Amino acid sequence: MMDELELLKKDWQKQGEHLPKLSYDDIYKMIWKKSSSLVKWIFYVCIAEFLFWIIISVLPISSNEITDRGANFVKITDWILQLVFFLVIIYFGYQFYQNYRKISVTDSAGDLMKKIIRTRKTVMQYVWFNVGLFALTMIVVLLEVLVFDPPKELMERISTADSTLLAWLIVGIFFAVSIAFFGLLFWLFYRLIYGIFLKRLNENYRELKRLEV
Amino acid sequence: MNKELEHQFVKELENNQNIVHKVCSLYTSNRDAHNDLFQEITIQLWKAYPKFRGDSKFSTWMYRVALNTAITLYRKSKKRIRTQDYDAVIFKIKADEYDDTQEQQLKLMYNAIRQLGDIEKALVFLYLEDKNYTEIAETLGITEVNARVKMNRVKNKLRTILNP
Repeated sequence: MMDELELLKKDWQKQGEHLPKLSYDDIYKMIWKKSSSLVKWIFYVCIAEFLFWIIISVLPISSNEITDRGANFVKITDWILQLVFFLVIIYFGYQFYQNYRKISVTDSAGDLMKKIIRTRKTVMQYVWFNVGLFALTMIVVLLEVLVFDPPKELMERISTADSTLLAWLIVGIFFAVSIAFFGLLFWLFYRLIYGIFLKRLNENYRELKRLEV
Repeated sequence: MNKELEHQFVKELENNQNIVHKVCSLYTSNRDAHNDLFQEITIQLWKAYPKFRGDSKFSTWMYRVALNTAITLYRKSKKRIRTQDYDAVIFKIKADEYDDTQEQQLKLMYNAIRQLGDIEKALVFLYLEDKNYTEIAETLGITEVNARVKMNRVKNKLRTILNP
């Protein structure tokens, strides 16, 4: 068997005449074509993710006018959330750029894969931060509405209900389920992106590093 | 990018294109995909060329870029029609060079190699290109010991594929 591999080696060195031969012009034309490499795709996806969350943060979440009593609390919380958000954007943007810049096709296969995974991880952390912040914002808005400006209809229903506790429980469950639903949606979305772009890379990286300590 | 650099690069690649063709043949199964991968490797080589300092041979430098592109960067196009899978040029062995049994064995070997994983193919490729374990380890970014162990496993795997 190993004689066969040796035999193959000899044949391998001699196969020049069987290979396709491209002309100077063929190759010259190729260097101006657009790349469709994984890194490029990941770059676009990451940029889209950054923009997506920036746009989400700019959109007004609650259009309701809130009563005077709650206004200060709301303003301050919103302001703090916005500040945190922008500081974090700057931090992740910088990290992403630094990691992306380091990706080089002339690295060893292992280093190249590691750097791509690291770049992707930065953006994943950014996304999870945003999902967390989004959930937090939802809770804050929810509390604002329920504590400072409860919808009359809802309050009436709860006060006329047989069991006040049960009515509150239902409201609570409703919100928990909707938050879980959005969470699941995000999770599926990112599994999809991961599946499309990084499945092969992750497998190869694991394979390559299997024996490394 | 000036004209001289373009010319120098295209000339170098033209002279060394066999390396890229061999990589393409290992990692693709039809002519369209072969050309597609060849093009992507060419683009990656060209993009990296200004940083090529010539402290290693152009061909040595090419191995890295070509394999990295084939293993990691290349995204197979889904649109390709896969009906015309071709017996890659590389696997056609001149009949007059070997007796029938040898030829048959070699064909089986080629087919077995194509069933390996991405990393395993890279190992076999570098081995067939007569690279030593230091070079193989450096190209793949693993330790030399690891490269040897993996190569032994690939040989065993090939044996299993050939003698099920």
